[in-house]
Amino acid sequence: MPYDEIFQPLQFRNLTVKNRIFRSNISGRWDNEDGSLTQTRINWESKFAHGGVGAIISSYVPVLMEGRIIASYATVHRDDFIPLWARLGEVIHGLDCKFIMQLSHSGRQMDLPGVHNLARPTLSSTSRKESLHGFLTQAMSKAEIDHTIAAFAKGAWRAREAGLDGVELHSANGYLFSQFLSSGINDREDEYGGVLENRARFLLNVIEAIRNAVGRDFHLQVKLSAIDHNNVVPWEKAGNTLGDTIQIAKWAEAAGADAIHVSQGSLFPHPLNPPGDLSLETLTTTYDAMIGSGVNGLRNYFLFRYPFLRPIFHWIWFRMKKGHVVEGVNLEEARVIKQNVGVPVICTGGFQTASFICEALREGAVDGVSIARSLVANNDLVQQWAAGHDRPERPCTYCNRCLISAMKNPMGCYDQSRYPDRDSMIEEVMSVYRAHGAMIAPGKEVMSS
Amino acid sequence: MSDINKPFSAVQIYLSQRMWRLDAALILLVFLVLIGLAALVIVIAALVEFGGKGTPTYADNPAHFMYGSIGAETESGLPYAVWKALPSLYPADFKGRSDYSAFGFLYEKGPNGKQQDLPIGISRRTVNGIEVVWFNCATCHVGTWREATGASPHIVPGMPSNNLDLYRFIRFILDAGADEKLTPDILLPAMEKTGTRLNPLEQLVWRFYVIPRVREGLIQRRSRLLPLLAAQPPWGPGRVDTFNPYKLLLEFGPGARIPDSELVGVADFPAIFDQRPREGMQLHWDGNNNSLAERNLSAALGAGVTPTTVDHASIERDAAWLLDLKPPPSPYRPDGAAAARGEAIFMKSCAACHGWQGPTGYVFQGAGIGKVDPVADVGTDPNRLNSYTKAFRDWQVANLFKGTPYRFSHFIKTGGYANLPLDGLWLRAPYLHNGSVPTLADLLTPPAQRPKAFARGSDVIDRAKGGFQAPSCAPGAPLADGTFCFDTAQRGNSNAGHTWGTNLPADQKADLLAYLMTF
Repeated sequence: MPYDEIFQPLQFRNLTVKNRIFRSNISGRWDNEDGSLTQTRINWESKFAHGGVGAIISSYVPVLMEGRIIASYATVHRDDFIPLWARLGEVIHGLDCKFIMQLSHSGRQMDLPGVHNLARPTLSSTSRKESLHGFLTQAMSKAEIDHTIAAFAKGAWRAREAGLDGVELHSANGYLFSQFLSSGINDREDEYGGVLENRARFLLNVIEAIRNAVGRDFHLQVKLSAIDHNNVVPWEKAGNTLGDTIQIAKWAEAAGADAIHVSQGSLFPHPLNPPGDLSLETLTTTYDAMIGSGVNGLRNYFLFRYPFLRPIFHWIWFRMKKGHVVEGVNLEEARVIKQNVGVPVICTGGFQTASFICEALREGAVDGVSIARSLVANNDLVQQWAAGHDRPERPCTYCNRCLISAMKNPMGCYDQSRYPDRDSMIEEVMSVYRAHGAMIAPGKEVMSS
Repeated sequence: MSDINKPFSAVQIYLSQRMWRLDAALILLVFLVLIGLAALVIVIAALVEFGGKGTPTYADNPAHFMYGSIGAETESGLPYAVWKALPSLYPADFKGRSDYSAFGFLYEKGPNGKQQDLPIGISRRTVNGIEVVWFNCATCHVGTWREATGASPHIVPGMPSNNLDLYRFIRFILDAGADEKLTPDILLPAMEKTGTRLNPLEQLVWRFYVIPRVREGLIQRRSRLLPLLAAQPPWGPGRVDTFNPYKLLLEFGPGARIPDSELVGVADFPAIFDQRPREGMQLHWDGNNNSLAERNLSAALGAGVTPTTVDHASIERDAAWLLDLKPPPSPYRPDGAAAARGEAIFMKSCAACHGWQGPTGYVFQGAGIGKVDPVADVGTDPNRLNSYTKAFRDWQVANLFKGTPYRFSHFIKTGGYANLPLDGLWLRAPYLHNGSVPTLADLLTPPAQRPKAFARGSDVIDRAKGGFQAPSCAPGAPLADGTFCFDTAQRGNSNAGHTWGTNLPADQKADLLAYLMTF
């Protein structure tokens, strides 16, 4: 079989995945405003299971409504959602694929807050507003921290109850865990701030609580940003180094993590995650959805909207990309982390070429790779590799239009150059809605009381 | 009332607070812009109001000479409005008149038959939007004569200003500058009463800038000049100390005093007819300069111009006109035969130094004409000679109009007095450089017998003696007709010297006098 390394099973402590390819966390606003799942989500995840990935890491799944990143993404904050997640798990399992729920909390990084979060600042490690969009924050009290830790444990328990194959803590990319971990963001003066040990306390307490809730034999992996690169807005501090992250990974392993998932950057999106281009022109018709989310939205929008201002944002964003490749942008950091931990390491960041992935696996740099955009572009990427293609015929161009369209439009590949025409592109994007379940007559529960 | 616009979400609350800060900044900005605009309007108004400059011009040369500016107003002048208000503030000094005739300033009648607004010798110039008046050449070089008391005066440009009591005028102005009546609270209403209309902006500018600046200038001049004036005998009409005030105002610093040896430089105003033939002669009483142009500029400095304010074109226009200005013919009608005999005596004894009156006019010839005779030979009062020193000469040459084509270079220190041509002699009484001898007849009298004290300031001609009527008087006592009792015993006023002709027999003296009265 060509690219044999990719197709070797990956054995975790509590989970075996049939190959080395993970669908990284990505989604659209498929679900209901209350966080309940829809048929569309099942459709979405099934695309990738059909395509042959070994496991799907769900898009970020908030454990609390106050931790949503974008509304209309499925949540796991209620027990009555367990059957819904169970149904999704059954479908994915039926396609010979594993399903790992990514437990998350937005912290201050709340792009589209949703109705539940109207009229309240978001909780974070800090009360300093977020630097790029100007999201307003409120430093969490210890009670709120405890409440959140418990919510993560409850979320993991619900995932296990739903029969899913594991959970991942989204402690990368600037979400709540990052906000505690990063020396560029965390300005607390209690036991959750200051030295690295204190900043890691929240994450480690969550791992401990999850282990207490679900036991030792349920897969739990931790996604970490290898390096924060927190100074996207130039006057911010740089944040955590690779050395800091290695230490965190070791502590996480010791606390009970079964794998480390390596990413980059202390905000999302970040110039290095997802790597690739950024269309400021496209942002002029999508970022408007976020203008009211923070207090710097209008300023940013002007920077996108007026071409004579674009060089400002272009400089801010693209200066950080210098010297970085796109495919395997985090590979070297992952390699070092793997050398320092005993559990398997998965790496994300622009993977699309089978031979490149095989080499990384062969060298033992990583144990698996996770892919989002290239799989959105080619749901059957793994099958193409299996058929002997090193790269797909119409590869992902890393244009990131999928990313910056997500605020207003269904998730999908918006690079029209990959399609014969515009209609084909829209048809492809809309394909996620094709298979719908039966519609039922609701009971009186729909009435207002 | 619905709270539909009340901020609800955290972002809305934050933005509305930021908006308040923005609004405050905007209000501040608008306020600053408004203040800026107001300031701009005020500045533009001020520029329009106080940016004006210029001076009236006169087509007619005599009018230019009498009323045209030579540039003295800028540094030395008084605002016209103050000039107009002073008579009402100091009625005693002005003898109750509303004009400046009390000081001997001369007024012509305008085309409408009314007296001119400004006297002869006072010109106007707009400086920074303010009309300012001060002296020109005619201040000291226009006089009058009359046939008899009660007759109307003839105004003669170019003759000495025999009426003007410059000493009294200067002391009055300097004293007024230090006087409370020139403070804005008193002066502004007086200006209003004498026809000045100020708008509110001008009121402010006058109250806080113009009047304080005028007073400051007068006080400074007073502090420099008053010690000199107080130490000198009053000059009397028709006289001036040319160089000492000029030293105090231009050369010396604050607190300086004129050394006693040069303290009294008072002399008569000279006539300035017929300048063309004088080019190259030793000019000024002591003959310290032989350049008409340089002498003219020096005299202009005396009138109050400075090297930066001087109006060269105006002065040169006056100078060009004066080149050939003839004195009016003598009104005396002496016996023709006597005059002919007198001419013979004059040609023998006097013409070499003074030139002579020929049948068609004055002849500016003679071996000694325009040359300096040592003071020991002339024997006249040495004070005027001594007031001009080598040190002052050196300072003038080193500093005045330095770096310009007008730089002074012709001044010299002499040891006597110059032999002057005697054209227009009948208008130049009293005689000698210091005006110490009232008439020609007195000048032909031995010094001991010349009048010891006589009245100066009359313009009525004396047909018997040649000159202006100058009755004897008692020094110190005021004269009823307002003339000035000139005391030859005072320093600088000695009537000694120039004894030529004093020893002639009486008939020859009479013949000589008859000839001199034809000049």
